[in-house]
Amino acid sequence: MPVDFYMMPGSAPCRGVALTAKALGVPLVEHQTDLMKGEHMTPAYLKMNPQHTIPTINDNGFSLWESRAIQQYLADKYGKNDDLYPKDAAKRAVVHQRLYFDMGTLYLRFGEIYYPMMFGGAPKDAEKVKKFDEALGFLDGFLSESKWAAGDKLTIADHSLVASISTADAVGHDLSKFPNIVRWYADCKKTMVGYEEANAAGAKGFGDWFNSVVKA
Amino acid sequence: MASIVLYHFPPSAPCRFALMTARMLGLNVNIKLVNLLKKEQYEPEFLKINPQHSVPTITDDGFHLWESHAISTYLVGKYGRESGLYPLDLKLRASVDQQLYFDAVVLFQRIRALCVPFIYGTASSVPDDVKKGVVDAIDILDTSLSNKTWLVGDKITLADIANVATLCNAEVVGYDLSKHRNVADWFDRCKTTIKGFDENLKGVAEFGALVRANHPAPLFP
Ligand SMILES: N[C@@H](CCC(=O)N[C@@H](CS)C(=O)NCC(=O)O)C(=O)O
Ligand SMILES: N[C@@H](CCC(=O)N[C@@H](CS)C(=O)NCC(=O)O)C(=O)O
Repeated sequence: MPVDFYMMPGSAPCRGVALTAKALGVPLVEHQTDLMKGEHMTPAYLKMNPQHTIPTINDNGFSLWESRAIQQYLADKYGKNDDLYPKDAAKRAVVHQRLYFDMGTLYLRFGEIYYPMMFGGAPKDAEKVKKFDEALGFLDGFLSESKWAAGDKLTIADHSLVASISTADAVGHDLSKFPNIVRWYADCKKTMVGYEEANAAGAKGFGDWFNSVVKA
Repeated sequence: MASIVLYHFPPSAPCRFALMTARMLGLNVNIKLVNLLKKEQYEPEFLKINPQHSVPTITDDGFHLWESHAISTYLVGKYGRESGLYPLDLKLRASVDQQLYFDAVVLFQRIRALCVPFIYGTASSVPDDVKKGVVDAIDILDTSLSNKTWLVGDKITLADIANVATLCNAEVVGYDLSKHRNVADWFDRCKTTIKGFDENLKGVAEFGALVRANHPAPLFP
Protein backbone atom coordinates (compact mmCIF):
# COMPACT_ATOMS: atom_id res chain seq x y z
CA MET A 1 0.00 0.00 0.00
CA PRO A 2 1.44 3.37 -1.01
CA VAL A 3 2.29 6.18 1.36
CA ASP A 4 0.34 9.44 0.99
CA PHE A 5 2.42 12.61 1.01
CA TYR A 6 0.91 16.03 1.65
CA MET A 7 3.24 18.65 0.29
CA MET A 8 4.09 21.71 -1.80
CA PRO A 9 7.11 21.55 -4.10
CA GLY A 10 8.41 24.96 -3.00
CA SER A 11 8.58 23.98 0.66
CA ALA A 12 12.11 23.05 1.76
CA PRO A 13 11.10 20.51 4.42
CA CYS A 14 8.89 18.76 1.84
CA ARG A 15 11.85 18.50 -0.50
CA GLY A 16 13.99 16.88 2.19
CA VAL A 17 11.38 14.13 2.48
CA ALA A 18 11.11 13.78 -1.31
CA LEU A 19 14.89 13.27 -1.62
CA THR A 20 14.90 10.59 1.06
CA ALA A 21 11.99 8.80 -0.61
CA LYS A 22 13.81 8.87 -3.97
CA ALA A 23 16.97 7.48 -2.41
CA LEU A 24 14.99 4.66 -0.84
CA GLY A 25 12.90 4.02 -3.94
CA VAL A 26 9.68 4.41 -1.94
CA PRO A 27 6.89 5.72 -4.13
CA LEU A 28 4.95 8.52 -2.44
CA VAL A 29 1.51 9.55 -3.62
CA GLU A 30 1.76 13.33 -3.78
CA HIS A 31 -1.14 15.46 -2.64
CA GLN A 32 -0.37 19.09 -3.38
CA THR A 33 -1.62 21.05 -0.41
CA ASP A 34 -2.01 24.72 -1.20
CA LEU A 35 -1.37 26.78 1.93
CA MET A 36 -2.52 29.96 0.19
CA LYS A 37 -5.91 28.37 -0.29
CA GLY A 38 -5.99 27.09 3.28
CA GLU A 39 -5.94 23.44 2.24
CA HIS A 40 -4.00 22.65 5.42
CA MET A 41 -6.80 24.05 7.60
CA THR A 42 -9.67 21.83 6.46
CA PRO A 43 -11.28 19.60 9.10
CA ALA A 44 -9.98 16.50 7.31
CA TYR A 45 -6.41 17.82 7.28
CA LEU A 46 -6.55 18.96 10.90
CA LYS A 47 -7.81 15.55 11.90
CA MET A 48 -4.71 14.03 10.38
CA ASN A 49 -2.32 16.75 11.61
CA PRO A 50 -3.70 19.19 14.18
CA GLN A 51 -0.49 21.17 13.85
CA HIS A 52 -1.44 21.81 10.18
CA THR A 53 2.04 21.71 8.72
CA ILE A 54 3.31 20.27 5.50
CA PRO A 55 4.96 17.86 4.95
CA THR A 56 2.72 15.20 6.46
CA ILE A 57 2.59 11.56 5.46
CA ASN A 58 -0.10 9.01 5.95
CA ASP A 59 1.17 5.45 5.89
CA ASN A 60 -2.00 3.38 5.88
CA GLY A 61 -3.63 5.22 8.74
CA PHE A 62 -0.46 6.24 10.56
CA SER A 63 0.04 9.96 10.14
CA LEU A 64 3.32 11.65 10.82
CA TRP A 65 4.67 15.15 10.38
CA GLU A 66 7.91 17.05 10.98
CA SER A 67 9.96 16.43 7.86
CA ARG A 68 13.01 15.00 9.58
CA ALA A 69 10.96 12.59 11.68
CA ILE A 70 9.40 11.43 8.39
CA GLN A 71 12.84 10.95 6.81
CA GLN A 72 13.99 8.89 9.79
CA TYR A 73 10.85 6.77 9.68
CA LEU A 74 11.05 6.11 5.95
CA ALA A 75 14.75 5.23 6.14
CA ASP A 76 14.25 2.82 9.04
CA LYS A 77 11.23 1.22 7.44
CA TYR A 78 12.32 0.99 3.81
CA GLY A 79 16.14 1.17 3.87
CA LYS A 80 17.73 -1.90 2.29
CA ASN A 81 20.74 -1.29 4.49
CA ASP A 82 21.56 1.35 7.08
CA ASP A 83 23.77 3.57 4.90
CA LEU A 84 21.30 6.45 4.78
CA TYR A 85 20.51 6.25 8.47
CA PRO A 86 23.15 4.26 10.35
CA LYS A 87 22.20 2.01 13.24
CA ASP A 88 25.48 2.44 15.11
CA ALA A 89 24.66 4.67 18.10
CA ALA A 90 27.40 7.25 17.58
CA LYS A 91 26.96 7.49 13.80
CA ARG A 92 23.21 7.84 14.17
CA ALA A 93 23.72 10.53 16.80
CA VAL A 94 25.80 12.60 14.39
CA VAL A 95 23.01 12.32 11.80
CA HIS A 96 20.54 13.52 14.44
CA GLN A 97 22.83 16.37 15.45
CA ARG A 98 22.99 17.57 11.83
CA LEU A 99 19.20 17.26 11.43
CA TYR A 100 18.54 19.38 14.52
CA PHE A 101 21.22 21.81 13.41
CA ASP A 102 19.54 22.12 10.02
CA MET A 103 16.13 22.77 11.51
CA GLY A 104 16.87 24.84 14.59
CA THR A 105 19.92 26.81 13.44
CA LEU A 106 20.48 26.78 9.68
CA TYR A 107 16.97 26.89 8.24
CA LEU A 108 15.65 28.91 11.17
CA ARG A 109 18.20 31.66 10.58
CA PHE A 110 17.56 31.54 6.83
CA GLY A 111 13.87 32.10 7.52
CA GLU A 112 14.58 34.96 9.88
CA ILE A 113 16.12 36.97 7.03
CA TYR A 114 14.06 35.97 4.04
CA TYR A 115 10.53 35.29 5.34
CA PRO A 116 9.95 38.85 6.60
CA MET A 117 11.18 40.10 3.21
CA MET A 118 8.70 37.87 1.40
CA PHE A 119 5.72 38.15 3.67
CA GLY A 120 6.17 41.52 5.36
CA GLY A 121 8.03 43.66 2.83
CA ALA A 122 10.93 44.00 5.27
CA PRO A 123 14.39 45.10 4.13
CA LYS A 124 17.32 42.66 4.34
CA ASP A 125 18.58 42.81 7.91
CA ALA A 126 22.39 42.80 8.06
CA GLU A 127 22.46 41.44 11.63
CA LYS A 128 20.35 38.47 10.60
CA VAL A 129 22.54 37.88 7.57
CA LYS A 130 25.51 37.68 9.93
CA LYS A 131 23.73 35.06 12.06
CA PHE A 132 22.87 32.97 9.01
CA ASP A 133 26.44 33.27 7.73
CA GLU A 134 27.65 32.05 11.12
CA ALA A 135 25.42 28.98 10.68
CA LEU A 136 26.75 28.46 7.16
CA GLY A 137 30.23 28.63 8.68
CA PHE A 138 29.35 25.82 11.10
CA LEU A 139 28.17 23.68 8.20
CA ASP A 140 31.28 24.53 6.22
CA GLY A 141 33.30 23.35 9.22
CA PHE A 142 31.44 20.02 9.41
CA LEU A 143 32.03 19.53 5.69
CA SER A 144 35.73 20.32 5.99
CA GLU A 145 36.06 17.13 8.01
CA SER A 146 34.14 14.70 5.86
CA LYS A 147 32.77 14.25 2.38
CA TRP A 148 29.16 14.22 3.54
CA ALA A 149 27.50 16.10 6.36
CA ALA A 150 27.58 13.25 8.86
CA GLY A 151 30.59 11.26 7.72
CA ASP A 152 31.91 9.46 4.68
CA LYS A 153 28.50 8.29 3.49
CA LEU A 154 25.55 10.23 2.17
CA THR A 155 22.76 10.21 4.78
CA ILE A 156 19.32 11.67 5.32
CA ALA A 157 21.08 14.64 6.96
CA ASP A 158 22.42 15.59 3.53
CA HIS A 159 18.90 15.44 2.09
CA SER A 160 17.60 17.78 4.73
CA LEU A 161 20.57 20.15 4.55
CA VAL A 162 20.61 20.40 0.77
CA ALA A 163 16.92 21.28 0.76
CA SER A 164 17.87 24.27 2.93
CA ILE A 165 21.04 25.21 1.07
CA SER A 166 19.39 25.06 -2.35
CA THR A 167 16.65 27.36 -1.05
CA ALA A 168 19.25 29.87 0.12
CA ASP A 169 20.92 29.56 -3.28
CA ALA A 170 17.58 30.11 -5.03
CA VAL A 171 17.01 33.46 -3.31
CA GLY A 172 20.53 34.52 -4.22
CA HIS A 173 22.29 34.20 -0.86
CA ASP A 174 26.05 34.31 -1.41
CA LEU A 175 27.49 30.85 -0.70
CA SER A 176 30.83 31.41 -2.40
CA LYS A 177 32.54 32.23 0.91
CA PHE A 178 31.99 28.64 2.01
CA PRO A 179 34.18 26.44 -0.20
CA ASN A 180 33.28 23.16 1.52
CA ILE A 181 29.58 23.87 1.11
CA VAL A 182 30.14 24.71 -2.56
CA ARG A 183 32.01 21.41 -3.11
CA TRP A 184 29.41 19.37 -1.20
CA TYR A 185 26.44 21.10 -2.89
CA ALA A 186 27.87 20.10 -6.29
CA ASP A 187 28.32 16.52 -5.01
CA CYS A 188 24.69 16.45 -3.84
CA LYS A 189 23.43 17.54 -7.26
CA LYS A 190 25.57 14.91 -8.98
CA THR A 191 24.95 12.03 -6.60
CA MET A 192 21.45 12.22 -5.17
CA VAL A 193 18.83 10.06 -6.83
CA GLY A 194 16.09 12.15 -8.46
CA TYR A 195 17.71 15.42 -7.39
CA GLU A 196 16.23 17.48 -10.18
CA GLU A 197 12.67 16.33 -9.66
CA ALA A 198 12.69 16.04 -5.89
CA ASN A 199 14.58 19.21 -5.08
CA ALA A 200 15.90 21.45 -7.86
CA ALA A 201 12.56 22.21 -9.48
CA GLY A 202 10.88 23.14 -6.20
CA ALA A 203 13.81 25.26 -5.02
CA LYS A 204 13.74 27.13 -8.30
CA GLY A 205 10.00 27.68 -7.87
CA PHE A 206 10.65 29.12 -4.43
CA GLY A 207 13.33 31.43 -5.81
CA ASP A 208 11.08 32.66 -8.63
CA TRP A 209 8.35 33.36 -6.14
CA PHE A 210 10.76 35.22 -3.87
CA ASN A 211 12.02 37.34 -6.74
CA SER A 212 8.53 38.19 -7.91
CA VAL A 213 7.46 39.37 -4.45
CA VAL A 214 10.61 41.03 -3.27
CA LYS A 215 11.70 42.87 -6.38
CA ALA A 216 8.18 43.99 -7.29
CA MET B 1 32.16 2.49 32.14
CA ALA B 2 33.97 5.80 32.34
CA SER B 3 31.61 8.56 33.25
CA ILE B 4 30.04 10.78 30.65
CA VAL B 5 30.92 14.46 30.81
CA LEU B 6 27.99 16.84 30.46
CA TYR B 7 28.73 20.48 29.72
CA HIS B 8 25.86 22.11 31.45
CA PHE B 9 24.22 25.46 32.22
CA PRO B 10 21.33 24.82 34.62
CA PRO B 11 18.98 27.63 33.44
CA SER B 12 19.05 26.15 29.91
CA ALA B 13 16.07 23.93 29.15
CA PRO B 14 17.89 21.70 26.63
CA CYS B 15 20.61 21.10 29.22
CA ARG B 16 18.03 20.05 31.80
CA PHE B 17 16.40 17.74 29.27
CA ALA B 18 19.71 15.97 28.65
CA LEU B 19 20.40 15.73 32.39
CA MET B 20 16.96 14.33 33.23
CA THR B 21 17.43 11.71 30.51
CA ALA B 22 20.73 10.67 32.10
CA ARG B 23 19.05 10.56 35.53
CA MET B 24 16.18 8.44 34.20
CA LEU B 25 18.77 6.00 32.86
CA GLY B 26 20.74 6.07 36.12
CA LEU B 27 23.94 7.06 34.33
CA ASN B 28 27.04 8.36 35.95
CA VAL B 29 27.53 11.93 34.73
CA ASN B 30 30.31 14.30 35.48
CA ILE B 31 28.82 17.78 35.22
CA LYS B 32 31.00 20.64 34.01
CA LEU B 33 29.39 24.04 34.25
CA VAL B 34 29.65 26.39 31.29
CA ASN B 35 28.44 29.80 32.35
CA LEU B 36 26.89 31.38 29.28
CA LEU B 37 26.50 34.72 31.04
CA LYS B 38 30.27 34.82 31.28
CA LYS B 39 30.61 33.63 27.67
CA GLU B 40 32.47 30.53 28.78
CA GLN B 41 31.14 28.69 25.72
CA TYR B 42 33.72 30.58 23.65
CA GLU B 43 36.70 29.24 25.62
CA PRO B 44 39.11 27.59 23.15
CA GLU B 45 38.96 24.31 25.08
CA PHE B 46 35.20 24.16 24.68
CA LEU B 47 35.23 25.26 21.03
CA LYS B 48 37.51 22.31 20.28
CA ILE B 49 34.80 20.01 21.57
CA ASN B 50 31.86 21.87 20.05
CA PRO B 51 32.63 24.48 17.37
CA GLN B 52 28.96 25.44 17.46
CA HIS B 53 29.49 26.56 21.11
CA SER B 54 26.12 25.42 22.40
CA VAL B 55 25.19 23.56 25.53
CA PRO B 56 24.33 20.86 26.29
CA THR B 57 27.33 19.01 24.92
CA ILE B 58 28.60 15.63 26.07
CA THR B 59 31.75 13.66 25.68
CA ASP B 60 31.49 9.93 26.01
CA ASP B 61 34.73 8.05 25.74
CA GLY B 62 36.17 10.53 23.25
CA PHE B 63 32.96 11.02 21.29
CA HIS B 64 31.68 14.61 21.30
CA LEU B 65 28.02 15.35 20.73
CA TRP B 66 25.70 18.33 21.08
CA GLU B 67 21.99 19.11 20.51
CA SER B 68 19.98 17.89 23.47
CA HIS B 69 17.66 15.76 21.34
CA ALA B 70 20.57 14.01 19.65
CA ILE B 71 22.22 13.53 23.05
CA SER B 72 19.15 12.05 24.69
CA THR B 73 18.36 9.63 21.86
CA TYR B 74 22.02 8.60 21.86
CA LEU B 75 22.08 7.93 25.59
CA VAL B 76 18.97 5.79 25.39
CA GLY B 77 20.21 4.00 22.27
CA LYS B 78 23.52 3.20 23.88
CA TYR B 79 22.68 2.70 27.55
CA GLY B 80 18.96 2.09 27.85
CA ARG B 81 17.45 0.55 24.74
CA GLU B 82 14.90 -1.35 26.77
CA SER B 83 13.93 1.63 28.93
CA GLY B 84 11.01 2.53 26.67
CA LEU B 85 12.12 6.17 26.69
CA TYR B 86 12.88 5.99 22.97
CA PRO B 87 10.67 3.12 21.82
CA LEU B 88 11.95 0.34 19.59
CA ASP B 89 8.60 0.12 17.82
CA LEU B 90 9.01 2.08 14.59
CA LYS B 91 5.78 4.05 14.68
CA LEU B 92 6.01 4.93 18.34
CA ARG B 93 9.58 6.02 17.86
CA ALA B 94 8.64 8.15 14.84
CA SER B 95 5.97 9.88 16.90
CA VAL B 96 8.50 10.53 19.65
CA ASP B 97 10.84 12.05 17.06
CA GLN B 98 8.00 14.23 15.79
CA GLN B 99 7.36 15.55 19.31
CA LEU B 100 11.09 16.11 19.85
CA TYR B 101 11.23 18.28 16.74
CA PHE B 102 8.15 20.13 17.95
CA ASP B 103 9.94 20.84 21.21
CA ALA B 104 13.11 21.99 19.46
CA VAL B 105 11.63 24.30 16.86
CA VAL B 106 8.25 25.38 18.17
CA LEU B 107 7.99 25.31 21.95
CA PHE B 108 11.63 26.07 22.77
CA GLN B 109 12.12 28.74 20.11
CA ARG B 110 8.96 30.62 21.06
CA ILE B 111 9.65 30.62 24.78
CA ARG B 112 13.21 31.63 24.06
CA ALA B 113 12.07 34.51 21.82
CA LEU B 114 9.97 35.75 24.70
CA CYS B 115 12.43 35.37 27.58
CA VAL B 116 15.99 35.69 26.34
CA PRO B 117 15.79 39.41 25.45
CA PHE B 118 15.01 40.04 29.13
CA ILE B 119 17.95 37.96 30.32
CA TYR B 120 20.30 40.07 28.24
CA GLY B 121 18.44 43.26 29.11
CA THR B 122 17.63 44.13 25.50
CA ALA B 123 13.85 44.18 25.94
CA SER B 124 11.61 46.17 28.21
CA SER B 125 8.14 45.18 27.13
CA VAL B 126 6.48 41.96 25.99
CA PRO B 127 5.33 42.06 22.35
CA ASP B 128 1.82 40.65 21.94
CA ASP B 129 2.64 38.53 18.91
CA VAL B 130 5.55 36.87 20.71
CA LYS B 131 3.30 36.14 23.67
CA LYS B 132 0.63 34.74 21.38
CA GLY B 133 3.25 32.46 19.83
CA VAL B 134 3.84 30.88 23.24
CA VAL B 135 0.12 30.49 23.94
CA ASP B 136 -0.42 28.86 20.53
CA ALA B 137 2.46 26.44 21.09
CA ILE B 138 1.08 25.36 24.47
CA ASP B 139 -2.33 24.95 22.85
CA ILE B 140 -0.81 22.54 20.33
CA LEU B 141 0.76 20.61 23.19
CA ASP B 142 -2.63 20.52 24.90
CA THR B 143 -4.23 19.06 21.75
CA SER B 144 -1.46 16.46 21.51
CA LEU B 145 -2.29 15.42 25.07
CA SER B 146 -6.04 15.13 24.75
CA ASN B 147 -7.25 11.81 26.15
CA LYS B 148 -3.66 10.79 26.75
CA THR B 149 -1.51 10.19 29.80
CA TRP B 150 1.75 10.74 27.96
CA LEU B 151 2.55 12.40 24.63
CA VAL B 152 3.27 9.15 22.80
CA GLY B 153 1.95 5.70 23.60
CA ASP B 154 1.06 4.83 27.17
CA LYS B 155 4.43 5.31 28.85
CA ILE B 156 6.69 8.22 29.53
CA THR B 157 9.19 8.87 26.73
CA LEU B 158 11.83 11.41 25.76
CA ALA B 159 9.01 13.42 24.15
CA ASP B 160 7.60 14.17 27.60
CA ILE B 161 10.95 14.93 29.18
CA ALA B 162 11.97 17.34 26.40
CA ASN B 163 8.72 19.26 26.31
CA VAL B 164 8.33 19.51 30.06
CA ALA B 165 11.89 20.78 30.50
CA THR B 166 11.06 23.56 28.05
CA LEU B 167 7.63 24.27 29.46
CA CYS B 168 9.07 24.85 32.94
CA ASN B 169 10.65 28.04 31.60
CA ALA B 170 7.24 29.41 30.60
CA GLU B 171 5.74 28.53 33.94
CA VAL B 172 8.47 30.18 35.95
CA VAL B 173 7.98 33.50 34.14
CA GLY B 174 4.31 33.51 35.08
CA TYR B 175 2.47 31.33 32.59
CA ASP B 176 -0.64 29.86 34.20
CA LEU B 177 -0.75 26.27 32.99
CA SER B 178 -4.17 25.65 34.53
CA LYS B 179 -5.63 27.34 31.42
CA HIS B 180 -4.72 24.14 29.57
CA ARG B 181 -6.25 21.20 31.45
CA ASN B 182 -4.41 18.42 29.66
CA VAL B 183 -1.08 20.17 29.94
CA ALA B 184 -1.60 20.97 33.63
CA ASP B 185 -2.42 17.36 34.52
CA TRP B 186 0.44 16.01 32.45
CA PHE B 187 2.85 18.49 34.03
CA ASP B 188 1.95 17.10 37.47
CA ARG B 189 2.50 13.54 36.24
CA CYS B 190 5.91 14.49 34.87
CA LYS B 191 6.86 16.01 38.22
CA THR B 192 6.28 12.79 40.09
CA THR B 193 7.58 10.41 37.41
CA ILE B 194 10.79 11.96 36.13
CA LYS B 195 13.95 11.25 38.09
CA GLY B 196 15.92 14.41 38.63
CA PHE B 197 12.88 16.66 38.36
CA ASP B 198 13.77 18.52 41.57
CA GLU B 199 17.30 19.07 40.36
CA ASN B 200 15.72 20.39 37.14
CA LEU B 201 13.58 22.81 39.14
CA LYS B 202 16.66 24.40 40.67
CA GLY B 203 17.83 25.37 37.19
CA VAL B 204 14.34 26.57 36.34
CA ALA B 205 14.41 28.85 39.38
CA GLU B 206 17.73 30.27 38.20
CA PHE B 207 16.18 30.93 34.79
CA GLY B 208 13.26 32.72 36.43
CA ALA B 209 15.61 34.87 38.50
CA LEU B 210 17.60 35.89 35.42
CA VAL B 211 14.43 37.10 33.69
CA ARG B 212 13.10 38.82 36.81
CA ALA B 213 16.35 40.72 37.29
CA ASN B 214 15.37 42.79 34.26
CA HIS B 215 11.59 42.37 34.39
CA PRO B 216 10.37 41.95 37.97
CA ALA B 217 6.71 41.47 37.02
CA PRO B 218 5.51 38.16 35.54
CA LEU B 219 5.64 38.08 31.72
CA PHE B 220 2.14 36.58 31.79
CA PRO B 221 0.23 38.54 34.42
N1 LIG C 1 9.72 21.79 11.19
C1 LIG C 1 8.68 21.52 10.22
C2 LIG C 1 8.33 22.77 9.47
C3 LIG C 1 7.11 22.61 8.66
C4 LIG C 1 6.55 23.92 8.19
O1 LIG C 1 6.71 24.95 8.85
N2 LIG C 1 5.89 23.90 7.03
C5 LIG C 1 5.28 25.10 6.52
C6 LIG C 1 5.47 25.18 5.04
S1 LIG C 1 7.17 25.20 4.58
C7 LIG C 1 3.79 25.04 6.82
O2 LIG C 1 3.22 23.98 6.76
N3 LIG C 1 3.16 26.17 7.14
C8 LIG C 1 1.74 26.26 7.35
C9 LIG C 1 1.33 26.23 8.78
O3 LIG C 1 2.18 26.00 9.65
O4 LIG C 1 0.16 26.46 9.04
C10 LIG C 1 9.13 20.43 9.27
O5 LIG C 1 10.32 20.29 9.05
O6 LIG C 1 8.28 19.69 8.77
N1 LIG D 1 18.59 22.86 19.87
C1 LIG D 1 19.67 22.97 20.83
C2 LIG D 1 19.60 24.31 21.51
C3 LIG D 1 20.81 24.58 22.31
C4 LIG D 1 20.90 26.02 22.73
O1 LIG D 1 20.31 26.91 22.12
N2 LIG D 1 21.66 26.26 23.79
C5 LIG D 1 21.82 27.59 24.27
C6 LIG D 1 21.43 27.67 25.72
S1 LIG D 1 19.74 27.26 25.96
C7 LIG D 1 23.30 27.95 24.14
O2 LIG D 1 24.16 27.11 24.30
N3 LIG D 1 23.59 29.22 23.84
C8 LIG D 1 24.92 29.71 23.78
C9 LIG D 1 25.49 29.77 22.41
O3 LIG D 1 24.90 29.22 21.47
O4 LIG D 1 26.57 30.39 22.25
C10 LIG D 1 19.56 21.85 21.84
O5 LIG D 1 18.47 21.33 22.01
O6 LIG D 1 20.57 21.49 22.43
